[in-house]
Amino acid sequence: MEKLIGLITCNYSAKIPGPLSDTRPIASMPYLGRYRLVDFPLSNMVNSGIRTVGMVMPYNYRSIIDHVGSGKDWDLDRKNGGLFILPGSAFGTSRTGSRFLLRDLIHNKVYFERSSAEAVIFSTANFVYNIDLTKMFEAHKASGADITVLTKTAADKDIDVTGFDVQDGRVRGVHHGVVFGDTSFLDCFIVSRQLLLDMFDWYTATDYLDVFEAMQNDFERVNVQTYGFDGYVAPIFNKTAYYRSNMDLLDPHISDELFPEGRFIKTKAHDTAPTKNEVGSHVTNSLISAGCRIFGSVSGSVLGRNVIVESGATIRDSVIMQDCVIKSGARIENAIVDRNNLVPAGTEFRGTPENILVKEKGRG
Amino acid sequence: MSKKECVAMLLAGGQGSRLGALTSNVAKPAVSFGGKFRIIDFALSNCANSGVSTVGVLTQYRPYILHSYIGTGEAWNLDDREGGVSILPPYATQTGGAWYAGTADAVTQNLGYIETQDPEYVLILSGDQLYRMDYGKMLESHKEHNADLTIAVMPVPWEEASRFGILTTDSEDRIVKFTEKPKKPDSNLASMGIYIFNAKLLVDTLKEDAVDQTSEHDFGSNIIPKLLADGKRLYTYEFNGFWRDVGTISSYHETSMDLLGPNPEFDIYSHDFPIMSNASTRPPAFFGKDAAADDCLVANGCKVFGTVKHSILSTDAFVGERAQVIDSVLLPGARVKAGACVVRAILGENASVEENVEVGSVDVTKDTAVIGNDVVVGKGEN
Repeated sequence: MEKLIGLITCNYSAKIPGPLSDTRPIASMPYLGRYRLVDFPLSNMVNSGIRTVGMVMPYNYRSIIDHVGSGKDWDLDRKNGGLFILPGSAFGTSRTGSRFLLRDLIHNKVYFERSSAEAVIFSTANFVYNIDLTKMFEAHKASGADITVLTKTAADKDIDVTGFDVQDGRVRGVHHGVVFGDTSFLDCFIVSRQLLLDMFDWYTATDYLDVFEAMQNDFERVNVQTYGFDGYVAPIFNKTAYYRSNMDLLDPHISDELFPEGRFIKTKAHDTAPTKNEVGSHVTNSLISAGCRIFGSVSGSVLGRNVIVESGATIRDSVIMQDCVIKSGARIENAIVDRNNLVPAGTEFRGTPENILVKEKGRG
Repeated sequence: MSKKECVAMLLAGGQGSRLGALTSNVAKPAVSFGGKFRIIDFALSNCANSGVSTVGVLTQYRPYILHSYIGTGEAWNLDDREGGVSILPPYATQTGGAWYAGTADAVTQNLGYIETQDPEYVLILSGDQLYRMDYGKMLESHKEHNADLTIAVMPVPWEEASRFGILTTDSEDRIVKFTEKPKKPDSNLASMGIYIFNAKLLVDTLKEDAVDQTSEHDFGSNIIPKLLADGKRLYTYEFNGFWRDVGTISSYHETSMDLLGPNPEFDIYSHDFPIMSNASTRPPAFFGKDAAADDCLVANGCKVFGTVKHSILSTDAFVGERAQVIDSVLLPGARVKAGACVVRAILGENASVEENVEVGSVDVTKDTAVIGNDVVVGKGEN
């Protein structure tokens, strides 16, 4: 019998709208050249042996479906179980700031009812981390908790991350935004399937709330415990966080932590030839996805698939997404260039470390 | 090409003994090539891109990695419910079993497969050649000539013609003579070992050949000469483009190097006729602060901290700080540790050159250095 099934809410949009997230849900935001953010929760679940995963979709789900397809690349094309595409609220949950909107879960009650799994593991698609969830599940069972939430001590202020008030190892309250030292919620929790179904009954009247908001007055009744994670974590709620996290991965130690041997992050496979560093090119301190042709200079940057950097072009401290062409003599600095852009010859595109410039998605 | 009109038989059983250490634990078609591909990707991609969706892959030597790599054929869109890829290793029957004794014998032993698929034409391919060809066009030519057998040929330099199986044709491309390695060639059209047979003729001919005790059961030595002698309609299909048989270490190295430089003849970036592969998903390649990579192919998962010139780094290859890699090919997972120097060498899969060790030589009169799969080269060992 399957012990755990997964559910990923993909319909939480970035609270701060911007050119990167206007055109796509956060879940399908390209990350580190070749990945999409949803690859992280999907891989975490699959790498922990879970073979039944539901994904609650936002209204603009085209790019997510394009990416996950049948779930084949995550071994989720199963005869039993596998990938379930579930409908979500018409306009996402960005206004409420909810991550696990009760209404979305209740509407898909049948997904949980038809399963015989012991417990359900939930995740959003806004966080980047690589975790062995089997250990969290073991801890959940050992502690006898009703719900186990994945947490990390906040190292920084972040207005978008949810914080928990913890006393005597139990969660007693929940608040929006964290400051240094707070217990921040990594948008991942395990709940017994039976309790989840009970909760749907308890909270029918307040189905416009997030699961944890609805529980605000019930933390004495429901035993919610924390499970700490101390690996690399990046919450991606705005362009600065997005940019910084890409840059973080230029540190080989962080990169080793996010991509450990034997626990790969899976993503959609493409038939892309290796990248070619052409004669006279200079590439340092950068992550370069497959299929790029580099004639110019790239430093401190992350390049997506099939990017062409012509000779005399310079890219510094930037994120360039797939299928961009950077023409000869162009200079890009402290910028995020979304996919399919052609940066014309001789143009400059420069932001500052404090204010990263964003070039929205090009045509094609 | 409509479905089942044509079935491909892909000969992938070769040991590739002249590739030495590179084929110690894998069959030649499964040897890595070009950073992220394996040699068989080229033939399988040609099939997929040509619309040949029924492919029998004949395997024999060390088949495990090859079999698991091909899998269901889904990586080449060949996981069709009808047809798709079938792996055909030697098998036993009530009267016993035998290894494949030659190229023709391998197909003879699988006539049952061909008869089950019941195609009009059979395409015979080798799993160890690098080229991009639309077999659909070759089949059109076969039909236009109303041929019994069409052989793909390519013009080779006259001075090299005596190294190949040479086909002499009349003005209509009909084959009048076939000579294996002629001393005085009267044509420079070399057989590429790619054949389209009318299925019925192939089946009948192979059945006859099977009981001929003087036959070596080889397409080049036996089947083609016999059909020619019988007056069958044999035609050539001329191919002009990049084609390599990477049969030896030096040709493997040379062909790899042909992918480098400003405008390589073989375009691995073609979107119209992509080379598909069953690749693992690894993170983008990382170049460290002091990395210097010039004229290189670098696959996903590589980490480069040192200097790499005119080389190919396959998936998950590693080049440590102050290390140098020049005119070399690192197969998947190969590691060149800090301060090591690798020149004109091929490092097998997961091979490792330890810190400050030197492998290979700039002296082109010396052979290309080869480190076998999983071999660790420490100090004083090379």
